[in-house]
Amino acid sequence: MKKTLLIGLFLSSLTSWSQQKITYVAYDLPNGLHVILHEEHATPIVAVSVLYHVGSKNENPNRTGFAHFFEHLLFEGSANIGRGEYSELVEKNGGTLNANTSQDRTYYYEILPSNQTELGLWLESERMLHAKVDIKGIETQRSVVKEEKRQRVDNQPYGSFFTEIFKRVFINHPYNWAPIGSMEHLDAAQEEDYINFYKTFYVPSNATLSIAGDIDIDQTKKWIDQYFGSIPKGQAINLYRDFVSLSDDAFKARYQVDKSKFDAKNFLASSQPDAKKLIATYLAKPCSIERTQKDSSPIIGQIKDTIYDNIQLPGIFIGYKMPAQTHPDTYALEFLNEVLSGGSSSRINKEIVEKRELAQYAFSFNYGLEDAGIGIFAAIIPQEVALDTVLNAFDAQLARVKTELISEEEFQKVRNKFENDIASSNSSIAGIAENLADNHVYYGDASRVNTLLDNYLKVSREDILRVAKTYLNQDARVILYYLPKEK
Amino acid sequence: MKTIILTLALASAALAQAQIDRSKRPDAAAAPKINIPASQVFTTANGITVILSENHKIPKVSIEYSSGSSPKLLTDKAGLDDFTGELLMTGTQTRSKDQLDREIDFIGANLSAGGDGMYLNCLTKHLDKGLELMTDVLFNASFPESEIERLRKQNLSGLQSTKADAGQMAKNATKKVNFPGHPYGEVMTEESLKNITRADIIAHYKANFSPAGSYLVIVGDINRVQAEALVNRYFGAWQGAPAYNATLGKGQFDKGNRVIFVKKPGAVQSVVYVTFPIDIKTGDKNQLPLTVLNGILGGGGFGTRLMQNLREDKAFTYGCYSSLNITENGSWMSAGGNFKNAVTDSAITEILKEFSNIIAAAVTDEEMALTKNNMAGGFARSLESPQTMARFALNTIKYKLAPDYYQNYLQRLESITKEDILRMAQQYFTATNCHIIVVGNEEILPKLLPFDADGRIEKLDAFGNELKDIKPADIDAQTLINRYAMALTASKNTKELGKKVKALKSYVRVSELSNGQMPFALTSTDYFWAPTNEASKMEMPGMVLQKSYFDGKSGYNFSMQGGREDLSAEQLAAKMKASGFIPELGYMLNGMTFEIKGIETIDDKACYLLYTNDGTAESFDYYDAATYLKYKTISVRKEGEQTIETSITYDDYQNIDGYLFAQKYIINMGKMSFNAVVKSIQVNPKEVLPKDF
Repeated sequence: MKKTLLIGLFLSSLTSWSQQKITYVAYDLPNGLHVILHEEHATPIVAVSVLYHVGSKNENPNRTGFAHFFEHLLFEGSANIGRGEYSELVEKNGGTLNANTSQDRTYYYEILPSNQTELGLWLESERMLHAKVDIKGIETQRSVVKEEKRQRVDNQPYGSFFTEIFKRVFINHPYNWAPIGSMEHLDAAQEEDYINFYKTFYVPSNATLSIAGDIDIDQTKKWIDQYFGSIPKGQAINLYRDFVSLSDDAFKARYQVDKSKFDAKNFLASSQPDAKKLIATYLAKPCSIERTQKDSSPIIGQIKDTIYDNIQLPGIFIGYKMPAQTHPDTYALEFLNEVLSGGSSSRINKEIVEKRELAQYAFSFNYGLEDAGIGIFAAIIPQEVALDTVLNAFDAQLARVKTELISEEEFQKVRNKFENDIASSNSSIAGIAENLADNHVYYGDASRVNTLLDNYLKVSREDILRVAKTYLNQDARVILYYLPKEK
Repeated sequence: MKTIILTLALASAALAQAQIDRSKRPDAAAAPKINIPASQVFTTANGITVILSENHKIPKVSIEYSSGSSPKLLTDKAGLDDFTGELLMTGTQTRSKDQLDREIDFIGANLSAGGDGMYLNCLTKHLDKGLELMTDVLFNASFPESEIERLRKQNLSGLQSTKADAGQMAKNATKKVNFPGHPYGEVMTEESLKNITRADIIAHYKANFSPAGSYLVIVGDINRVQAEALVNRYFGAWQGAPAYNATLGKGQFDKGNRVIFVKKPGAVQSVVYVTFPIDIKTGDKNQLPLTVLNGILGGGGFGTRLMQNLREDKAFTYGCYSSLNITENGSWMSAGGNFKNAVTDSAITEILKEFSNIIAAAVTDEEMALTKNNMAGGFARSLESPQTMARFALNTIKYKLAPDYYQNYLQRLESITKEDILRMAQQYFTATNCHIIVVGNEEILPKLLPFDADGRIEKLDAFGNELKDIKPADIDAQTLINRYAMALTASKNTKELGKKVKALKSYVRVSELSNGQMPFALTSTDYFWAPTNEASKMEMPGMVLQKSYFDGKSGYNFSMQGGREDLSAEQLAAKMKASGFIPELGYMLNGMTFEIKGIETIDDKACYLLYTNDGTAESFDYYDAATYLKYKTISVRKEGEQTIETSITYDDYQNIDGYLFAQKYIINMGKMSFNAVVKSIQVNPKEVLPKDF
């Protein structure tokens, strides 16, 4: 009896495709900060995050590595937080924090016990309003970042492949350089360069505050008004920052108004007419950020290069240019990649790794970005196999997906796989906060987190064939051979 | 009137908002209540303990099976457990690997296996299919020969890349050095992988994958009734071997710091681990205070001593952490990170300094508060994952913890004092008996020397084995033996060699043996007389400690503790294979197994390596490639489960009546070491063996 009951239970859910809905509240503050709040009480914790829409693609080509460098620098403290205290405040209050930088964005977050929500808001508002950007912090973090590069890139077998592929795929777009950037550029930069970067990109209108977890939305909104609502709008934020960091003379020279005319306690409420006028002028001046353009220009020809690295086994890395992540073809491209490289039953694994034993590992993946994407095929290859044999084996797989529809079984498989993955994607509050922020910034629509599965289920087998033909062009790609350095 | 007041109130509120005092740090609101939903536990008739942690947030279920057996020593088949785990997924009696892969991927599930467990994770609606596949693998794995060979080849290739992966190399060295002769100290090598047969794999699978004493942890969108039904249906009829439980050693505790170096040519950074075993088991009352101690030293976050000192203050590294690993079968502490070559030695100094500081003085109140709050927060954060609740339940049962161990976690954490922490540091930590593992470029080697207590840096290969840097030999074994014999007899040609060997009828050599720990020297006398007789005697003033005698046909050993013991047939056979003034000359005729292995550089000296096996011991003889004289002999003898390694290093050869004898030699036996100085050598003396021998 029990058994039938059980089977019935499973059957009833077998045919339904479902995605759980994430509820949230979103609004803008007058200073342009976008706010997203998701409330759930399963665990007494909260994730407080701020996404700044600045990544390595916004950098001056002669000052690469700045966006990532700021990710480090902005833990140095603020007008009210001492050096090294930022992380200490989070940790001693039972939280954890970190940040990461991509080509497109810089993302900071704290996960705290929910009774420390206000602390998280204060910390992030301090970072946004008046972070410490001074020479001492710059010097320390310069060395730390250099060690990070040594650890993650230079000392990592094949660790440079991302940088090397991007360099060749993106000739006329700032995706040309990697977020880690150039250590020479960081060395050459002056304090003023760093301050200007902060003033340009770290402003409320370029940020999204996303909070998820055990919060009371009304109370949280009040705190947000206090801590973030009080951050000056437009260029007034930079007027205020100069007021804090410049000497009297330097301030006067720049703005022709004495610092003493301002109310240091409540800057925006300064009542002296000159000060008031200046503030009004700067409140009205927008913070404009020059956005990069989408890059759909094709790779010209087949670019082949060899990299010598501290490795034992040779490798091959092939890069194709893909559309921006917001392009509707992205869903079909993800499906295509799943057919080629998702799981043990995927074509690349079965054919190249298992049947023909041409590679130690072989895989492909899509790396979608705001202005363009990249599709990478890679293999680590036993010494006795010729690299071009593997290249030909990859090409044979491409030829198949470009000429035949994938099988019904494969199609069903990838649909099931995405249903499974999307179900898992919102399992933590930290993940929810990040997904909401990402979808707002890149797609202009945080609610996309709830319709993701529908987008994938619209893809047909014909779509997959079409995108394979459109984007996997053997005459427009980068091929990198990785060979062991002579000892 | 009322409205006006309200408006005024609103206006003043707005004003107050704008004037928020940013220098004032927000206070925490009332502490939230922490709920630890209880897991459910039940057992099956065939011996499985099932732990169920319900969570219906996501329509998914995960099921983890873990074996009830303890790890086993695999010696020359190291890696058998992982290899078996990998192979589990390569086919069953009714499903080929292709079929299996297709069916798993079709339901979007994740099914994986290791050497002692399996894991399934899928949408609730696919759970029946998922379990069908999981149990098919668990009960009916077929280990096809072709898959064994394919994965062997792939693993061999993968082991190649270990040689480029500094992090992995450091992990291997850590295991080997902290846990010699323990399952945790075993690392798969090309050789051990080649030794593994299909029969080994099947035996390991049968012994380890059994319901007896095992655990099944079920987490997610499923209730008790459903879980029980599924467990009965899929696991109820399963039968297997009884669980295997061994008591394992606690690791290698040394006196003095040991520097262990693994070279990685071209490295721009060194990977450094300062590590040592600790004597504690999961569930010990000291586990929590020790975890707090590790948290303060470098166990978490940016605020730790290691991170603040080595990253934030000195900028030596991107990250410097410590880790405390406590298991039921062996525990260890480790601290380190990646450091650029130029500061590797300074980084080691700082890490050791942090260990000695934390042993010397109590931590501060701020550090206590920081780490306790951090851990309390981490505990709260961990509750978000339903896997945590299941892990709590599993640990409570497995390690026989108090039923409210986790319910009381925060109270126990709160009650830990600074004094407890200092006591923990003094009981478990050391700054002077550490293993200092460094993987990096050889250029940094000279700067590491001062850290090593005995001034001898040990060099390991990528897999944590003693480094053997062997080049192929340019001569064969017999040529080497001839040249050695010519050098030893100072002969110019083989004719002269023949004459000289014949002319040596006997010799007596007296040496004095000393070492730092003994208040007096030992006297050792060796006797040889042609053609194949030998004897030796070791004495201290007024007392004979050991004697040995062999006359070509029979012999004995005598020791003070054991008395006289005649040589066994096996020992006699071995003796006969290596007898005579220059035993090597007779290897061929006497049936010794011998082989030239190549040219190896030891102690900066290029040597030919000659391997021999006389049936009771394997020996590695090193002959100086420049002079052909013997530089070192290492012999390895098995006695029961133990291996005994003895080495002799020869120095200062002098010509005595036309024959060369080393005047100094060093004998190493395990941790004991003697310096020997030759006091006299008589060639062809009147009397060889004294009457009273």
